[in-house]
Amino acid sequence: MNIKILDSWLREFIKTAADAKTIADRLSLTSVSVEKLEKHDGDYIYDIEVTTNRPDLMSITGLAREAAGALSQAGIKAEYIEPEYKKVTSNKKLDLEIVNNPKLVNRICAVALDINLKPSPEKISKRLEAGDIRSINNAVDVTNYVMREVGHPMHVFDYDKLLKTGKMIIRESKPGEKIVTLDEKEYMLKGGDIVADNGKGEIIDLLGVMGTLNSAVSDDTKRVLLFVDNNDPHRIRKTSMGLAIRSEAATLNEKGVDVEKAMDAILRGVELLEKIADAKLISGVFDIYPNKPKIQALQILETKINSVIGITIPLKTSWKILNDLGFTPKEIKDGLEVRVPSWRANDVSAEEDIIEEIVRVYGYANLPNTLPAFESGKPYNLVSDRFYWEERVKTAFKYWGFTEVYTYSMVGENMLEQATKDAVVIKNPLTEDRVYMRTTIVPSLLEAVRENKGREKLRIFELANVYLKKAGSLPDEKLKLAALIKGPKLSFLEAKGIVEALLEDLGISGVVFKAAKSGAAGASVFIGHELLGEIERLEEDLIDLEFDFETLLKHVSLKKVYKPTPRFPEAIEDLRFEIGEQIPYEKIVRTIHEQSNLIKKVELLDVYKTKKTFRIIYQSGERNLTSEDITQVREKIISALKKHFRADPA
Amino acid sequence: MEQELIKLKNDASSLIIAAEDAQELTAIKLDFLGKSGKLTELLKGIKKLPEDRRPEIGRLANEILGSVEGLIATRTNELTGKKRESIKKEFLDITLPGLKPPLGHLHLITQAIEEISEIFARIGFSRVRYPEVEWDWYAFESLNFTANHPARDDWETFFIDHEIDAKHGPMILTPHTSSGQVREMLRTTKSQAAGELPNIKMLNIAKCYRRQSDISHSQMFHQFEGMVVGKNIAVTDLKGVFDFFVRSYFGPDRKIRIRPYHFQFTEPSVELDVSCGVCAGRGCRLCKQGWLELGGGGMVHPNVLKNGNIDPAKYTGFAFGWGVERVLMMREGLELDDLRILYSNNLDFLEQF
Repeated sequence: MNIKILDSWLREFIKTAADAKTIADRLSLTSVSVEKLEKHDGDYIYDIEVTTNRPDLMSITGLAREAAGALSQAGIKAEYIEPEYKKVTSNKKLDLEIVNNPKLVNRICAVALDINLKPSPEKISKRLEAGDIRSINNAVDVTNYVMREVGHPMHVFDYDKLLKTGKMIIRESKPGEKIVTLDEKEYMLKGGDIVADNGKGEIIDLLGVMGTLNSAVSDDTKRVLLFVDNNDPHRIRKTSMGLAIRSEAATLNEKGVDVEKAMDAILRGVELLEKIADAKLISGVFDIYPNKPKIQALQILETKINSVIGITIPLKTSWKILNDLGFTPKEIKDGLEVRVPSWRANDVSAEEDIIEEIVRVYGYANLPNTLPAFESGKPYNLVSDRFYWEERVKTAFKYWGFTEVYTYSMVGENMLEQATKDAVVIKNPLTEDRVYMRTTIVPSLLEAVRENKGREKLRIFELANVYLKKAGSLPDEKLKLAALIKGPKLSFLEAKGIVEALLEDLGISGVVFKAAKSGAAGASVFIGHELLGEIERLEEDLIDLEFDFETLLKHVSLKKVYKPTPRFPEAIEDLRFEIGEQIPYEKIVRTIHEQSNLIKKVELLDVYKTKKTFRIIYQSGERNLTSEDITQVREKIISALKKHFRADPA
Repeated sequence: MEQELIKLKNDASSLIIAAEDAQELTAIKLDFLGKSGKLTELLKGIKKLPEDRRPEIGRLANEILGSVEGLIATRTNELTGKKRESIKKEFLDITLPGLKPPLGHLHLITQAIEEISEIFARIGFSRVRYPEVEWDWYAFESLNFTANHPARDDWETFFIDHEIDAKHGPMILTPHTSSGQVREMLRTTKSQAAGELPNIKMLNIAKCYRRQSDISHSQMFHQFEGMVVGKNIAVTDLKGVFDFFVRSYFGPDRKIRIRPYHFQFTEPSVELDVSCGVCAGRGCRLCKQGWLELGGGGMVHPNVLKNGNIDPAKYTGFAFGWGVERVLMMREGLELDDLRILYSNNLDFLEQF
């Protein structure tokens, strides 16, 4: 959450000669980040990002205390000017009966005043507007001004509107109840919201989030009820998010604001209304305070401080830092005992929290850089490093002309290739096309093809998880390697060649290609009985493949095997046969090999209808081959192919 | 014999000089010096000569053999030179496009992950990966998140349609790589021998998911999470590692600063800023007063160590989790109009990198 504040306003609570730039830098480095510092009308605006644990710094006074501590630690003279509020002495009771529910609201402070409703003086309206708050009238402006200065949100009601029933009962909303907020928008409540009821079932306030129109200050307002409510933060969050009303009050209240500040806010509000709205008290301050914060005292050893931070920080320095921040530190044996201020009660509860206070104000920039001293010394084994193989496979695909894509893990029903009940389902998806965790990658690649319709040719791949539902436990996340080739006159062999090259590069041998049994035309690839993956020919110009990366990993190898290089030259001969198209190539090659151990290699040179040309490479490990040797083998090949496949030399 | 030798030499010389290419020379060489070449055959006759003639004829024969080989070598050189000359004279349009081997593209995210892994490997961090579909316990509960923390709302986190587990709570899509922290601690403490220190230097890079999709957020994104746990690990170590990464990844011209921040699972918590590469730290519309936020980190919260079976009284640690997309954008100054283009399948985009 961000807050914009004027330098001149901040300086009402801090005495220092430091300029705005210095204050901004010190705050950024030790406390909250000043994201922008802008010149504004002879003044400066700080635009500050406040972390969710520090709602106390969504205020001028909170920031002034923080800045004073940070500046003085850096050797720049600075002092926090603690505000003092004038007490309200009147004991007069309210004419309104307020009934609290301590489960919902921690504290209510309220006071009734006669006022003269009019625009705010320039000083007030300018300060608000510099902080992106619209000036409305003096009564409403005071609530916003106090929220910014003291740090507790507050509300102002038209007192006479409340007195129509004379009752205000704090309760939970019921589902379906309707309200109209003061910006004239209608909402239907979901139930469980903190509301004020006028005793007749009508809602007169959505506490901590936004006022309602029926009780709001309007042009004819004469009397007001200034009202501070400190609420259960979780209910505020639920209401504010559920109704999408992200008012500043709600963003503060949902973080939990300092309940002790409720009275400060009321008193400061009264002071201001007296000053700018000719206000006169018509009641004393009503204060119902059932839930007081628990104030903790923590003990911390000096050695602990130093070992976590990594350097020696004098205990006196730690003491001063904590004291400046509003803690109450006391030196004890070998350390400090630290009382936590009310505005940090939600946030500081352990030794480590205290160390954080010390180290941040001491300044991270003042610490040296070291590297962790240990090395694990665990042996590193390349072949079992899955990340090595992932990178190697990706790189191989890159150099085979593939472009890597990252598609979403979530898909719509149309891309889920199975029954929706068998898929891992997201309960609260953002869009209908991202509901199911995918169980296969290929549909996402096909979507990529559709989205690049203009491309006649493309090659893409992805290495990503699929998610397989498992009863009673987290789904199986399995890494899959998927690729897709699109191109005119695309041969199945192009995809098969990629797979063959991949397996060779991974050191995987003994792989068998079998005709796919189901789905589209293609091949299933096995190692033994284990399915490695599939190649699918989907369309004339579209082939995809998907392999199980985990199974591939089981078989990868970096083992080096040496075979003596041949000492005698090879003889090469091309043979062409007229042979039935249906006879699988693998069978022919096997038959040729069976004819002689002088046949070192058989390659397919060309296929034309029923004619296949083979290149036979002859080689002996023991001697030079003579033409007689070759003639003998050649004749055996020809007769064997004739016998088994009725093939003829062509 | 003498005469025959000289004649052979003369024949060979004139043929060699007239030869116009390497093939011709090879043929001549075979014809004269081969296994059954003319000179070879003639030399076989030396044995038949009277003994006193043999040394003289032998010397002559060797001389001739040497000079024929010499001539062949000279002519070979001449021919090579000539060929080079003629190649030089051929017209060559070097502006024609080359015949490229196939060359595809690795995704920007892959490229970034590879570099980040390499940098952290240099200081001993090992890569790990943990589930993307995760239990609330690992993603929130064990990381010290309060029961009502906004990150646990179904406005921010994706929930899986699954029964709530008695021990681990609801099933979700992990919103950060921090869910690997306690998993890594438990894995380490489970596998280590008694008395062994839980020395952890982890780098967890994974897909994460959050319910936010706009020009600067994608519902699926990547984080890298570093965590070090051991004896006497201090804030100064965290600072040193941050500094090492930034100097390695962003280069020597970028500065860093560490600011206080707030996270549930670290205490103290910090945020790391890197000076803006566009304005060199002077301040511009892309940065905040000259700084860009890189990401958060801090000392591992004692409750988190406890949940990982590590005694916070004996050991300390630090952790950080940063966006892969973020560091990539910050370094390259890629001004993507919409971050989601990374996951869009747009080949015109992907092929640029």
